[in-house]
Amino acid sequence: MVEYSDESRDRRIIQLRKGILELAVMGVLYHEQHYGYSLVRVLTESGSISLKEGTVYPILARLSRDGLVRSEWVESDQGPPRKYYGLTSSGRRLFDELIQELDLLVSLVQKKWNVPEKSEHARKKLVVSRG
Amino acid sequence: MNNYSPTVSKIITDYLERVRSKLRLLPANEQEEFVKELHSHIYEAYQKAQDQDDVAKILSVLRNLGEPAEVVSDRLPGAMVRSGSKRKLPLYILGGIFIALFGIPLGFGGVGVLLGLLFALTGVLIAYYAAAGSILLGGGVFGLLGVIRVLLPELWERLVTLGFIQIDGPVGDFLAHFPASDQGLFIILFASLFIVAGLGMLRGGRYLLRGLRFLFNLVFEWMRRFAQSIRRKLRQKPGPAPIFSQSSRPFEGPYNARFVKF
Repeated sequence: MVEYSDESRDRRIIQLRKGILELAVMGVLYHEQHYGYSLVRVLTESGSISLKEGTVYPILARLSRDGLVRSEWVESDQGPPRKYYGLTSSGRRLFDELIQELDLLVSLVQKKWNVPEKSEHARKKLVVSRG
Repeated sequence: MNNYSPTVSKIITDYLERVRSKLRLLPANEQEEFVKELHSHIYEAYQKAQDQDDVAKILSVLRNLGEPAEVVSDRLPGAMVRSGSKRKLPLYILGGIFIALFGIPLGFGGVGVLLGLLFALTGVLIAYYAAAGSILLGGGVFGLLGVIRVLLPELWERLVTLGFIQIDGPVGDFLAHFPASDQGLFIILFASLFIVAGLGMLRGGRYLLRGLRFLFNLVFEWMRRFAQSIRRKLRQKPGPAPIFSQSSRPFEGPYNARFVKF
């Protein structure tokens, strides 16, 4: 059996994370406002996922470019001001929709497929239909 | 930057400067805003970091944050992101003209002509690499001879008496004016010219290779479509396709897939 390469595994994990992480960020910002650093803390506090802290900034940039989050600078009682982000109402609506989509996808992935052994006949048809 | 030591402060400024240089294409106020935001992040992370040593602390904070290029991605204007695909445009046009000229009016004959041309180009490319390789090899041999001339004059003499090395004519006369070490240096200089030329050719070859690969892909893709369209025509002859509703029989398997496809 051929082992998969680390590179192909990493690429897929990154691909998977990219979309899901954006959803997770939206989920966090749905209910409360966060600044970049606190957002990272919330996302990683369960300890189940290690996250390069910088990755939230491209996500926030995308979200705000599409008008899904808004931001404001808030003075901090210690240190420089913080830029707080929160989901806009259109961001909330989109999140609700995306969560439904995600549920569908997850159930599709986790569904126990009972694939019967393909008969010789069916396999032949497959070849024919592909030409 | 209030409570940072000078070293830490310098490290942070350097990092933010690198971020700023990646954001050159953005308006100044957006650059400033993002740099300010990152600085605030660095401050918070620095306060919470565990290390004793402040330099180790700031380095681990920045490592966690990631490279400037990663952090700024998705902030750059669309034009920069797309520039990769734009570069191929002239090749697409060339390929289009190529196919329009040879492929369409000539049918299978055109395919033959195209393939012939492609293989000819492949031949040219192989010859190109062979030339580059032999130039490199020549340079290597010359270099070796030069080194022998400088470091091992006795070996050089032996090689000359054995007939492995024959330098005569104007080159030999020219070299005879100089002592052994200078002769060696001349040979090495000459050799490095060869090697540089060979390496240059190899480097330039990448573009040729890329262009050829692109043309191959283009032609094969086009042939695939051509073959598909013929297959489709052949398939349409037998009776009308059975009607089925997608809602009642979604993706039942390979048999239906055939009708879904078109």
